Amino acid sequence: MVQIRKKKNRDAEIPSAGMSDIVFLLLLFFLVSTTIDVDTGIGLTLPEFREDLTDVVPLSKDRLASLNINENGDVLLNGEVIAIPQVKESLIPRIESKIDLPKAKKLVVSIKTARKTNYNLYIQTMDQIKAAYAEVRLAYSQNNFNKKLYELNAEENKELKIKIPIIISIAEPERIK
Amino acid sequence: MTFEKKRSTSKQEIPTSSMPDIIFMLLLFFMVATTLKEVDVFVQYKLPEAEAIEKIENKRLISYIWVGQNGRIQLNDAIVEVEDIRDIMYKKRVELPNVIVSLRIDKGSDMGVVNDIQQALRKADARRINYSAMLKL
Repeated sequence: MVQIRKKKNRDAEIPSAGMSDIVFLLLLFFLVSTTIDVDTGIGLTLPEFREDLTDVVPLSKDRLASLNINENGDVLLNGEVIAIPQVKESLIPRIESKIDLPKAKKLVVSIKTARKTNYNLYIQTMDQIKAAYAEVRLAYSQNNFNKKLYELNAEENKELKIKIPIIISIAEPERIK
Repeated sequence: MTFEKKRSTSKQEIPTSSMPDIIFMLLLFFMVATTLKEVDVFVQYKLPEAEAIEKIENKRLISYIWVGQNGRIQLNDAIVEVEDIRDIMYKKRVELPNVIVSLRIDKGSDMGVVNDIQQALRKADARRINYSAMLKL
């Protein structure tokens, strides 16, 4: 008689040594397939659309910094030719001089472009304006709160935004006649 | 004299029974963190570069408009005309009141098309926009 002997297997376990490989595979798959591209750019809120522009109040000259960019890439700031990298420097003193003025007297930066103006120039100019405001804001928070911009709490941030609001106006495009 | 190697009787294994839990945690983390909303971009574009740029924190609020080198406009996942933007964006705006429109416009574009898009967005009342730009190094 054949002796049937049951094999005794003490360690009845699923081999889990290769589990770590699986983990790494999963990790790699997700790392490769995930797109973590944070959208960066220049933020802006467009003005409300209105059909009639009859009741518009003209801005006083000293509030307005008007930038004109024509199709050849020439930039005018309040009627004078300026190079784009200089826009920041010339805006900073004007923003700073209006920090303590009431809300209705803050600086308004207006950008106007022609239809054929290059988009890159427009962004460069926008960048200069944003950089000017950022610099003034940073200086203000350093002097008044002795903090960097990202260290400000909600209240201080609010004060900063009231003191130095970023008002950028995109001029109405001219109607084609 | 014979030396006998001392063998410990306990098992020499790292406990791997909790490994599946770790896998599931990783899996869950990536599933939550990944936004699997891939859109095929049909236009070719190169973003402008800028220094004073900011990040948009909430990716789910963003709606994209691309403008390619040849002036073609893509909204979400289809090529559209300027006239269509208003209606599409208005519907989007009703669904998602605080939508941010990210404009990914080729840096060689003319301002004319940008102005047209901006006017359409103003009419659709989707007024929070973002000019997408790369960080200038």
